[in-house]
Amino acid sequence: MKKTVIILWFSFLALFMCLMARVAAGTYVDQLERQVTVPDDPQRLISLAPSITEIIYALEQENRLKGVTRYSDFPTAATKLPKVGSYVRLDLERIVALNPDLCIAIKDGNPKEIIDRLESLKIPVYVVNPRNLNTVLETIREVGKILNAGDKAENLLTNLHTRIQRVKSLITQDTYRPGVFFQIGISPIVSVGTDTFLHELIVLAGGKNLADGKTPYPRFSREQVLALTPEIFIVTSMARQAVFEQVKAEWRRWPSMPAVRNDRIFLVDSNLFDRPSPRLVDGLELLIKLIHPELLK
Amino acid sequence: MNPAITASNLSHSFGNRHVLRHLSFSVEKGNFFIIIGPNGSGKTTLMKLMAGILKHQKGQLSILGHPKRSYTPKALARAVAFLPQRLPLDLPFKVGEAVLLGRAPYQGALGFERQRDLEIANQAMQFTEVDHLNNLNIGQLSGGEQQRVFIARAICQEPEIMLLDEPTASLDLAHQVKVMDLMEKLKLEKCITVIMVSHDVNLAAMYGDQVLLLKNGEVVCIGTPSEVLSFRKLEETYACKLLVDESPLGGFPRVTLVPGRFMDSEN
Amino acid sequence: MTAKTPSIIARLIWVVCLLLVILFAAMIIGSAMGSSGGGIISVLQVISGKSDPNSILHTIIWRIRLPRVLLSALVGATLSLGGLVFQALLRNLLAEPYILGISGGSAIGAIAGILLGFTRFPGVSLTAFIGSIVTLVLILVMTSGQSVLKKESLLLSGVMVNAFCSSVIMFLVSITQDSRLHNIIFWLMGDLSTADIRQVGLLAGMLLPCFILIFRHSHAMNLLLMGKEMAQSSGINIKVVTITLLVTSSFMVSVTVSYCGLIGFVGLVMPHLLRLIFGPDHRILVPACILGGGSYLVICDLLARTLPEQGEMPAGVITALIGAPLFILLLKRSEP
Repeated sequence: MKKTVIILWFSFLALFMCLMARVAAGTYVDQLERQVTVPDDPQRLISLAPSITEIIYALEQENRLKGVTRYSDFPTAATKLPKVGSYVRLDLERIVALNPDLCIAIKDGNPKEIIDRLESLKIPVYVVNPRNLNTVLETIREVGKILNAGDKAENLLTNLHTRIQRVKSLITQDTYRPGVFFQIGISPIVSVGTDTFLHELIVLAGGKNLADGKTPYPRFSREQVLALTPEIFIVTSMARQAVFEQVKAEWRRWPSMPAVRNDRIFLVDSNLFDRPSPRLVDGLELLIKLIHPELLK
Repeated sequence: MNPAITASNLSHSFGNRHVLRHLSFSVEKGNFFIIIGPNGSGKTTLMKLMAGILKHQKGQLSILGHPKRSYTPKALARAVAFLPQRLPLDLPFKVGEAVLLGRAPYQGALGFERQRDLEIANQAMQFTEVDHLNNLNIGQLSGGEQQRVFIARAICQEPEIMLLDEPTASLDLAHQVKVMDLMEKLKLEKCITVIMVSHDVNLAAMYGDQVLLLKNGEVVCIGTPSEVLSFRKLEETYACKLLVDESPLGGFPRVTLVPGRFMDSEN
Repeated sequence: MTAKTPSIIARLIWVVCLLLVILFAAMIIGSAMGSSGGGIISVLQVISGKSDPNSILHTIIWRIRLPRVLLSALVGATLSLGGLVFQALLRNLLAEPYILGISGGSAIGAIAGILLGFTRFPGVSLTAFIGSIVTLVLILVMTSGQSVLKKESLLLSGVMVNAFCSSVIMFLVSITQDSRLHNIIFWLMGDLSTADIRQVGLLAGMLLPCFILIFRHSHAMNLLLMGKEMAQSSGINIKVVTITLLVTSSFMVSVTVSYCGLIGFVGLVMPHLLRLIFGPDHRILVPACILGGGSYLVICDLLARTLPEQGEMPAGVITALIGAPLFILLLKRSEP
């Protein structure tokens, strides 16, 4: 008699814990410390930023994706999905019309009012806030978790980690840190401060960010740039090749800069450097090629 | 003695500028009272004080036996109607609508007109002979017609006192007489006290029952035209040479300007 | 014999009924169209309760479009009425609701709120409102000395303050580089998309008493057209009426602008348009501006939402593109 009671009791307990586990599986804490109830198997997902779209595709969960923002252009398959406005100006109506069961938002850019309105319409919104490379990797892991793609996320992270480690070990072979001026704005001339992805990548790739400092996007006059004597000039913007040639020609008029003398002026795709997505590592690998080409021979 | 308006020691200044000093006078009911004087003598300010547009600073002013201060704006509007020198000729209303505006002191906040208002407006327009212009815009009328429209509006206030500031200033001869005759008609048929500021001393002589001569905000003289319009007083006040004799129409003085060339020959 | 014209009450009822129908129709059409389709039949079904309350269209219409349409109507009404009142008070047909520094002050307040990281409601709305009140008080204090030329100095001070604020705004915009810049620009262009039914309800609660108060003064505004002196001698207490109208209009325009940014052109064009159609009597114009101005912005906002292929235009662009030619057309037709 006692045995049966004990067995019954433990089975009850086990069942109870399973039930609790099922309920707890639904509630997550997102990167803004909000409690979000995520459906177990989201089938109608909307990505509210281009970087999030890239992460979802990287995790091979694009079959869940039903809507993206206007500039979600990578991979190209994403451009065929229905659009919900741009990430700074979301179209509430289009989001609701797609009947999502989960939205993934990004803190820096998405209007808080829209997030609140979605919540009041009982649409769960998971907000991420990737501020540097580490938190980007964390974001990939968390998105993987909520999309039931934990193992794919781990694979991706392992791959990214390996590549980052390779870069890190490469630069130990050379203690010299060339001065890099990364121009993200053409007129006025704008570079990147310490609190940006770019800065982190430059440092990781073995360069010295000449514009580092408190201001995230400091402005420079041409004289100030000349005074910094940059050895490597990297221009990134949404501009086309023609504009880049013009910018390059402009800088070529100042051969006092080592970058001009050694012809180390480069144009790169801005999307590799300002989107908190797996392609940041692509950007990192590109950077080390530009900054320390000798290490890759 | 039933004064329409009594002023006692009335003074008013704008900042340091004393415009009216210790004015005392009284206007009989049913009188045609004309105020004359040179520019800057305070005539318009006096008008505005009597119309309730300005509040006098010193002295007493009583209207129809009650102190002006005791009147609410609406009550004052029912007693006194005012026509300024510059009329709002750009008023976008039709004649009929503009005249109806004069019924405001008797209406509620929204001014919805009743039958009586329409009747009074019609009568006023007939009185000033603008009823045939009822549906025209004010901007389409001649100067004289425009003025008569605003007079009709003033009549709608059913005032006991009508104040006019230089009504003949921009009118041609025919219209000058027409307006003055209209005022006389108001006085005689409706027993309205007409108080007018005029720059034309001859019109004052022709129509006024009482004339007030004002200079530098002070009363120079008050009385019948014959009493006030003596050449000495006028010459002193206006500081120019004048000739005063009896009008060929009889009963009141006639004032003639003396051009410079006549003065040389006199000497 | 005077010709028989319909009484003012009859005309008022006729105008109000006509414009109510137009407003209603505009709101139905506005709810029927949007970035996710719809159709008038569906809207009528949803409103009359005949459709499935759980359907997406139901949610979109009740919780996104209807609040937005209501907000457009309220904002259009307020701006048109504000323009009308300022034109009557200042006796200047170029007056518009932002003229007393409200646009400049609220913009600076809003930008300050955005830079400090507040959300649109209530943070930025509050700072915008404070900004507009501060500039208004500033202007009133600056012009309180003169009484004779009062309306000129009021107008000029308003224009100068707005110009000064513009340069401050340009400076602030030029030094902002991050995503807050987007918020600032959208606010400056006017934004009706953040309509939430409770906030719209709150706004209506603040604006409707203003509408009623202004309507009660509509005949006084007629009398004001004769000039302050003649109006005073017709029995109006000029000081009380002027201050009441000024404060009420400034308040309601400030509240509106604080909530949805600077939507221009409505307050300038609508009073003129309605005056050309319905005449100069303010007892008719006040309800006409409320209902007609509301309809106008509902339609303009609808066009702003549906015309562009991607995203939406600022409603202020449409109000200008439509309003100006329409106004010129009506002006030409009315000339004798």
